[in-house]
Amino acid sequence: MEKNNIKGWLYLIPAFLFLGVFMIYPLVDVFVYSFEEGYNSASQTFFGVGTYNYSYVLHDPYFLQAVKNTFILVIITVPLSTGLALLISVGLSSIKPLRELFQTIYFLPYVTNTLAVGLVFMILFKKTAYSDGLVNLLITAFGGKGVDFIGGPYWAKMFVLCFYTIWVVMPFKILILTSALASVNQVYYNAARVDGTSRFRIFRRITIPMISPMIFYLVITGFIGAFKAYSDAVALFGTDLNAAEMNTIVGYVYDMLYGDSGGYPSYASAAAIILFAIVLTITCINLLVSKKHVHY
Amino acid sequence: MGNQSDYEKIEKTAKIRRTAGNIVLYFLLTIWALIVLFPFYWMVLTSVKSYGSYNAEHIPTFFTLSPTLQNYVDAFTTVSLGRYLANTLIFTVITTAIMLVVITLAAFAFARLDFKGKDIAFTLFLSLMMIPNELVVITNFATITNLGLRNTFTGLILPSVTSVFYIYLLRENFAQIPDELYYAAKVDGTSDLRYLRRVMIPICKPTLITIVILKVIECWNSYVWPRLITDDPDYFLVSNGIQEIRENGFGRENIPAMMAAVVVISLPLIILFLIFRKKIMAGVARGGTKG
Amino acid sequence: MSRMRKILLLLLPAVCCLFTLTACHGSRGLDAFVIPEEFDTSRDYEITFWAKNDTNKTQTDIYKKAIADFETLYPNITVNLRLYTDYGKIYNDVITNISTNTTPNVCITYPDHIATYLTGINIVVPLDELFVDEKYGLGGSEVRFDAPSGEEIIPQFLEECSFNEHYYAIPFMRSTEVCYINKTFVEELGYTLPETLTWDFVWEVSEAAMKQDTEGNFLINGQKVMIPFIYKSTDNMMIQMLRQKQAGYSNTEGEIQIFNDTTEELLYTVAEHAKTGAFSTFKISSYPANFLNAGQCIFAIDSTAGATWMGTHAPLSDISKDALVEFETAVMAVPQFDTKKPQMISQGPSVCIFNKADSQEVLASWLFAQYLLTNDVQIAYAETEGYIPVTSKAQLDTDYQDYLSRGGEDNTSHYEVKIKASRLLLDNIGNTFVTPVFNGSASLRDAAGQLIENVTKSVRRKETVDDAYMKKLFDDVTSLYRLDQSKASGTGKAELGKLPGTSVILLSALMVTWGLIILYVGYETVKKKKSSHNNH
Repeated sequence: MEKNNIKGWLYLIPAFLFLGVFMIYPLVDVFVYSFEEGYNSASQTFFGVGTYNYSYVLHDPYFLQAVKNTFILVIITVPLSTGLALLISVGLSSIKPLRELFQTIYFLPYVTNTLAVGLVFMILFKKTAYSDGLVNLLITAFGGKGVDFIGGPYWAKMFVLCFYTIWVVMPFKILILTSALASVNQVYYNAARVDGTSRFRIFRRITIPMISPMIFYLVITGFIGAFKAYSDAVALFGTDLNAAEMNTIVGYVYDMLYGDSGGYPSYASAAAIILFAIVLTITCINLLVSKKHVHY
Repeated sequence: MGNQSDYEKIEKTAKIRRTAGNIVLYFLLTIWALIVLFPFYWMVLTSVKSYGSYNAEHIPTFFTLSPTLQNYVDAFTTVSLGRYLANTLIFTVITTAIMLVVITLAAFAFARLDFKGKDIAFTLFLSLMMIPNELVVITNFATITNLGLRNTFTGLILPSVTSVFYIYLLRENFAQIPDELYYAAKVDGTSDLRYLRRVMIPICKPTLITIVILKVIECWNSYVWPRLITDDPDYFLVSNGIQEIRENGFGRENIPAMMAAVVVISLPLIILFLIFRKKIMAGVARGGTKG
Repeated sequence: MSRMRKILLLLLPAVCCLFTLTACHGSRGLDAFVIPEEFDTSRDYEITFWAKNDTNKTQTDIYKKAIADFETLYPNITVNLRLYTDYGKIYNDVITNISTNTTPNVCITYPDHIATYLTGINIVVPLDELFVDEKYGLGGSEVRFDAPSGEEIIPQFLEECSFNEHYYAIPFMRSTEVCYINKTFVEELGYTLPETLTWDFVWEVSEAAMKQDTEGNFLINGQKVMIPFIYKSTDNMMIQMLRQKQAGYSNTEGEIQIFNDTTEELLYTVAEHAKTGAFSTFKISSYPANFLNAGQCIFAIDSTAGATWMGTHAPLSDISKDALVEFETAVMAVPQFDTKKPQMISQGPSVCIFNKADSQEVLASWLFAQYLLTNDVQIAYAETEGYIPVTSKAQLDTDYQDYLSRGGEDNTSHYEVKIKASRLLLDNIGNTFVTPVFNGSASLRDAAGQLIENVTKSVRRKETVDDAYMKKLFDDVTSLYRLDQSKASGTGKAELGKLPGTSVILLSALMVTWGLIILYVGYETVKKKKSSHNNH
């Protein structure tokens, strides 16, 4: 391929323009804010320039709680949802009748407003003065002890959050994986079957490598998306996430911007930059791993 | 003769195993389908319960003896939901159109053209994906306000146009079109732009359709940005509308009406998905000259 | 090497450009407001009014009517209304708009919020000169409507809007907290309501109501649900209890005094009664009105501005008709520790004006704000809930007095409970108080409420509440609301101390990972170079 320097950049200009103004400029802005110590939106003043913001954020127990929550969320939901989506997609690909029905049903969560659905989940899981909530009814029907998932112990709240997050991200993953599976060339399968390879071996040695680009795409975007979790938590636990101990890093950033003593964009920015650093690291790791394992 | 019966036996056990496997498979798939469907059933159910009886239930009931469509009427009358739907439609159409142009050009550049700094630029784009929306919102708010674009469609549309996510997806797709096609076209003397228009876009049409649908869904449900820059009800989008119903419906939370609004709002998207389902499925698969 | 340098050369100016653009953080504020000589009637003005109403639709109509009437008097002024139901949201939106100079003109506010707005330079307009201006001041000569004069605003309410010797807001409505009581149940339990409620009485009756039969039905109401004592705003609960005991809460310098022994004692009492289920809060259980009206609560403490939701025949109701239980509603002042010196909090919206570059626009905003003090608006709004007007002119007005005397005539505009609530406040104006206002007082108020919420929640989860728990609670709440910050933001950065464990792990993990990545990439490039070398 010849070098088309000018042409290449020309094609990129529209994208760069939009991204430059609405993504890169804010990023630099945030970066600058993070070094203006203690900037307060109401008074529009700050102490000076330095790393105090980062220091403050790293000392804040609520930030650390948010980091903990976010990491737990990521570690649980990304592998689980990708694995589950893979299983379901494989299952879907091996049945003919009702396949389209199932596919349509599975895509429904993507189409609806997450705030509304989160509200429904909250209602189903919450214990009120009057009733234990639907899910608890089911649990007691099976002989277990009901637990307040929304206002109760930490593990219960984490469970609901993870469950809801997986529920929400599954449609997209199933969609991508079913299509990827459908596009694998039958020739490979036929050849393997002629050789008498077991189904499991076919899956491991042919299917997975063939769809590996898509799996990695899902893993990378899955990690990035999970680190940005916020609206799911709000839908379930309301806007006062710090009090519910269920804050995420993005939630912490948002709370800092609209704090009760007049927003602190500086602390929000410092926290955001830290988040960016974390996500950047993980994505780099993912990219390096994918270079080794992905077949085009 | 012995071989024949052996063969039949093997076939039979294989068949039993397969049907057993299928039954288990269907069972598991159905369970997940139920888990997916149940909240929707709940939403529709709530939207037909009357306000009084909804608040009266202490134990959530699975059905209602007197369904009512009053909530749907309320949803449209307490707030001008019809107007919000129109606004959202305009917003979605324009944003998606602009986005298509921008990302097609960008994905083409990354996938097909070779130029200096391509890898760095791509890594930069990828890293932009990691920026959460909540972060850029505050600066964009200042930018848009200083440009005097509060409460305008332009202000709503501009920051929502690009998403690196889709550039990445499209680029993956473009990259899977084999080089031979490109060289063949070049030999014929086709310009790059022509190649893009005549060859790549038609081949990748399914992916483009998928991206359009996904963007439409994203625009339809967008909440944070519209809420921040519009305070004039003439420019509200449907997500604002739902929040309004939730907070001010009858004075206090009017959950049934809110659910009714959500059902109404989700319907167009569901119908869109049903119509374009096959194309969407094909869209994320590998394109090219296989098969 | 040259390619790298070219790229760097390209990037550097771009980044510098961006830096200079973003370096315009922080502003010098606006110029101070000076009253113009004449109100320029030849120009048109468009002012924005951010209003808050309760969950009561009549109030929005009153705002709209006030605007319409005002616009008839001043045809060159258009008022754009934006409605909110939550003080917090107005506060957040104003803060967001300060940096872009798009604050509203007139805004309903709370004194705590104004303290934060005042940290900016000339953001809020001081009203002292406007009050006494001959032409456009309170009852001035050029004002086209019958506004109250300075003396006709109840002095106590006016004082609540002053900080640092200046007035920055005018009161709009006033309310307080009262206890709505299911008198029938109290008497069925064998008690009689005293003249003034005491905390001991309330706790005693609540515990007495907790008796159940063998099937789990409460003896008092025959239902499975009974929470005898529900408090809507736990922040007021803590503030009022501390005030009544004359214990520390805060002072005008912004000193946080809430973490003391009396607070601990009070929290232990709350824990004790939350344990038996006799006490709960709005955040945990939902609206006290719903429980009271269904006969599932005996003492519901809520603002007088919620009076239309309380009682068997309440005009506004959230629950279905067949859940309503017939009972007599008594309205009494909140429980006291010292019956001879009752203390109750004074609440209610106030109005402030934001400064703009155009002083004529500010004058127009002041005229509208003044209009909100006229009798029409004051009386109409006060009659929607248990509010009282803030001007003696309105309070002594014959129409208003007539309204007050007709309590019980019907269950809509003369709803008995609502009028009782208003009258209670009118009789007790001298016993009301407000908390000191400073930048951060809003957070302190939330913290006070959070103490009670956390204790109640923990008790319900069967956690032990002891001294160690209290200490941890105090620490958690301090950092949750950054109460150690509010002093620091005045003087500068606070001393932070050692980095906590998780941070250390996070930072070191990041650094180690990057070290490994760089090593790995370096290793791979060296390997590639070597193999391409070997291929020559």
